[in-house]
Amino acid sequence: MVSAALRSVRAPLEEPFEAIAPHSVPQRTEIELRDVSLSYSAGKDGSKTVLSKLNVKVAPGEFVVVLGETGCGKSTLLRMILGQDFPTEGTIEVDGKPVTSIDARCGYVPQKYSLFPDRTVLGNVMYGPENAECRFLARLRPSFFAYRRKLRAEARAYLVRMGLRPQDMDKYPHQLSGGMQQRVAIAQALLMHPPVLLLDEAFSALDPSTRASLQEQLREIWLESKPTVVFVTHNTAEALLLGTRLILLGRHREERAGETNLVLDMQIPASPLPLSLRMKTREFQELLERVKELAYKSSSLCMDEAVADRIVEEGNLA
Amino acid sequence: MAPPFRVADLTGIQVRPARLWTHSLSWILFVMGIALYVHFSIVRHRENPEDRVIPSATQLVQGLKASVLEPAEEDDPLDPGASLFQQVRHSMIWKDTASSARRFFIALLLLVPAMLIGLHMAVFPYAGAFFLRFVLFFDKIVALSLLPILFIVFGIDEWSKIMLMVIGVAPTLMLDAYNIAGGVPREQVVKAFTLKSTNLDVAYRIVLKQVLPQLINSVRLNLKPLALFLFAGEMIASTDGLAYRIAIMRRHMGMDIIIPYLLWVALLLFSLDALLRFTNRRLHPWYQPR
Repeated sequence: MVSAALRSVRAPLEEPFEAIAPHSVPQRTEIELRDVSLSYSAGKDGSKTVLSKLNVKVAPGEFVVVLGETGCGKSTLLRMILGQDFPTEGTIEVDGKPVTSIDARCGYVPQKYSLFPDRTVLGNVMYGPENAECRFLARLRPSFFAYRRKLRAEARAYLVRMGLRPQDMDKYPHQLSGGMQQRVAIAQALLMHPPVLLLDEAFSALDPSTRASLQEQLREIWLESKPTVVFVTHNTAEALLLGTRLILLGRHREERAGETNLVLDMQIPASPLPLSLRMKTREFQELLERVKELAYKSSSLCMDEAVADRIVEEGNLA
Repeated sequence: MAPPFRVADLTGIQVRPARLWTHSLSWILFVMGIALYVHFSIVRHRENPEDRVIPSATQLVQGLKASVLEPAEEDDPLDPGASLFQQVRHSMIWKDTASSARRFFIALLLLVPAMLIGLHMAVFPYAGAFFLRFVLFFDKIVALSLLPILFIVFGIDEWSKIMLMVIGVAPTLMLDAYNIAGGVPREQVVKAFTLKSTNLDVAYRIVLKQVLPQLINSVRLNLKPLALFLFAGEMIASTDGLAYRIAIMRRHMGMDIIIPYLLWVALLLFSLDALLRFTNRRLHPWYQPR
């Protein structure tokens, strides 16, 4: 029923404001990080390197999960792809173009503070498409109201699909639970149909059941439209369930203390099973144990080059 | 069910006073103030029935009547047959309130750009770099010390008093707006840009809309400093206004007029504060004060 509703609201409209949401963006987008390093000035100690020589190429439509211990630079990496921070060395390109400012082709869902508190649920979700399609003066045109009605219908359909009830649509974010807020935040980003979706520990503040249901929904949405996703998490099971590819970041100790390198880059075996069932399979549990062990080693051992090499080797065996 | 009241609760932190307690306690200081006033007034009037330092209730009522129904000394007297409305319209307190209110609201209007500058300082890094150091320095200048300069520049007419209020309060409001707007989570600004907002969208439709209730609260907190500067200006150079009248009455020891004026000023500020608070709540139902 929901998909029928979605189909109906996506039907072509009269001119202007033909499109409900911006479809002009390229649908398949790749991300490439070349020799990306990030250092910052640490006073008397000179500069401190956070990320060192990262080389990652994310193919269009890939679901990449970035895993690593707290403070290893996962979110920094995401912010750099987004264009909020910039590498001190190397380049980041989205769809072949270097990232020079916050990239509106990217949908972004942070862990919290994602929603505008002064707007209702519908207002939050409609903000982006309205902005994209009509600037201030265009809103005075009568066709804007027709456009708005259609957009409202699509926004409602999206929100219902994300598990919100009709009576929640006019609530303000503070009147919703954390899980509901994140559902709205995801809908807010998705209604823009972004070719790249960046999620920064988007589910980490949620209880296990809400988390599981949101994971299912995210996976379903990704399978449907296949945007390129970069999902940052510190939860290994979540990483293996959602992603098609896992990137594990690890931090050096001792002389290169604080410096983060890519420790493991592996494809996650695909499975046709729903997430809840997949988690219970023996293969998944074995893989989980293996990756957990690698993640533990990368975070708890004094990681010199030899150890890093061994972890990568073990990871590839997995 | 709430546990019964114990004396130890009076000094407790983890207690929830019953409604009756909160209401009763909130009026005690008012009652005590009035009781003390009445006591000292009676004592002084027992020694000197004509005492004007602490006027009796009768003197206060007469003073109030004179303020509300009679024109000021410097104005022409009213016809004896004038209606009550005309009497009030030409009364001393009406004239003074209108003069002070005009200055007060013009100054308040001129403070709006100050808040917008504060907002821009927080949102646009170059604007912040341009203004911040200067505003921080300017904030430390005692506004009253600028009064002679203002009198020279603007004369002793209205504008010197209005500018005193603006210069006295603007830096504080700018810095307040700067701090409040700077407190909007970075995630929201980033999110807004990913939702195709322009710089102006972010400044006005995201940040300003979000901080507006706090800015109104900031104005509420600055009502008293604003009135303080108004009074300073009026007391030094004015021919009308609430503070002018209080200064004139001080010379004649007219406490029967000064006290009603003082209470009237407090009531006006209290009402304006309540009006702003009410408006804030109605306009921003989403606002959750921390």
